[in-house]
Amino acid sequence: MIRPALVIAGKDLRLVLAGGVGLAQPVLLGLLLVFVFSLARPAGELVPPQAAAGVFWLASLFAMVLIYNTLYSLEEAHGARTGLLLAPLAPQAVWLGKGLAGAGLLVVSQVVFLPAAMIFLGQDFHGGVGLALLTLLAGDLGVCVLGSLLGALAQGQAARESLLTVVLFPLLVPLLLAGVRLGGLYFEGALEWEAAASWLGLAAAFDAVFAAAALILFPFVYTGED
Amino acid sequence: MVLTLDRVAKFYGDKPVLREVSLALAPGQVLLVAGENGAGKSTLLKVMAGLSRPSAGTVRQGVDQSRVAYLGHQTFLYPRLTALENLRFWARLYGRDGGEAALLAALERVGLARAAHEEAGSFSRGMAQRLSLARVFLVDPALLFLDEPGTGLDVRSRGVLRAEIAAARERGAALVWVSHALGEDLPAADLVLLLDKGRAGYFGPAAGFAAEGGGA
Repeated sequence: MIRPALVIAGKDLRLVLAGGVGLAQPVLLGLLLVFVFSLARPAGELVPPQAAAGVFWLASLFAMVLIYNTLYSLEEAHGARTGLLLAPLAPQAVWLGKGLAGAGLLVVSQVVFLPAAMIFLGQDFHGGVGLALLTLLAGDLGVCVLGSLLGALAQGQAARESLLTVVLFPLLVPLLLAGVRLGGLYFEGALEWEAAASWLGLAAAFDAVFAAAALILFPFVYTGED
Repeated sequence: MVLTLDRVAKFYGDKPVLREVSLALAPGQVLLVAGENGAGKSTLLKVMAGLSRPSAGTVRQGVDQSRVAYLGHQTFLYPRLTALENLRFWARLYGRDGGEAALLAALERVGLARAAHEEAGSFSRGMAQRLSLARVFLVDPALLFLDEPGTGLDVRSRGVLRAEIAAARERGAALVWVSHALGEDLPAADLVLLLDKGRAGYFGPAAGFAAEGGGA
């Protein structure tokens, strides 16, 4: 499953990055979100660290939706989805390949969102890079695990399948909560193991549960069979 | 047998689309699937190819999945990749990446070597279908599904298509060929399955079908 997933991820990154169009949309949407929130703060006042972390993760989630819609729509134009389903690979390889490509694009987007959130929302770096990276990793893993599944759902032809994306989106709330709390601690300069452990545990549990669920559900979602 | 169907049925909700379809296909045989619009041809092809599960009955493919290929109206191409990149992607998915020389040789066979580094999005319908043909034959298929592959092709592309199909047959590939141009395609067939409202109205030798005036 790993080799075909890497082949699919490589092809997707090539297609999205070659034109640059696929990444411009999510990055601009996220930046707009950060900028609008910066306008909402009263003059002379600071945005609370937790709110700034919330804006960062919201920008990441909206970017995720656009990124995975783009990645899955690549397969629809000339019926390549049928080709992938006929190829000698597990359907989950498509989920993993799209997930990996989406993770790469999400990280690139966040490289823009993070400094933007700090500049426009008046936050500071507070060291602890290792723990901050671990927070990003746990958060991004969950976002991509579910994002790759949602992207496949969003390509469904029936309205009920499109509706499922709306139903599934709130499932990200626990992960968002963990990300906001951990991000808030980082911006406060209080991100330490004792304080972060339980939230990191929640994010890791979310990642594991939804990765398992996606592995089971994806073949049904992507083949369109009941 | 390369492909065996035993009393296959397919329902969409309560509506039967295929009923009691049974057949067997040996290596090197060409099965022509015909019928009016809505007779169930495309559904049957999906069920045979494993893209859709039958509601009843069984489908058995006697070849490895890596040697099953499909050529239809849709080309499975990525318009913003070059012809070579498209071919490389599918070759890698099928574990057949023999390097650039093998890919260029495949493009040469379908007359696209000079367009190897051009984006597939700039290709005409005929060129895109020939690139799709190169994708299919790179796999060296033992079981090939053809869903009206000649639709909208120019004379040159139809010639390339027929030559490659004949070559695949000589190599022992079994073909399932959905066709609307029955009179034109019948001489290339060994067996004919005529679908009538999801049932096999005729299944047997193409010669017998032609003798009954089926190809007229």
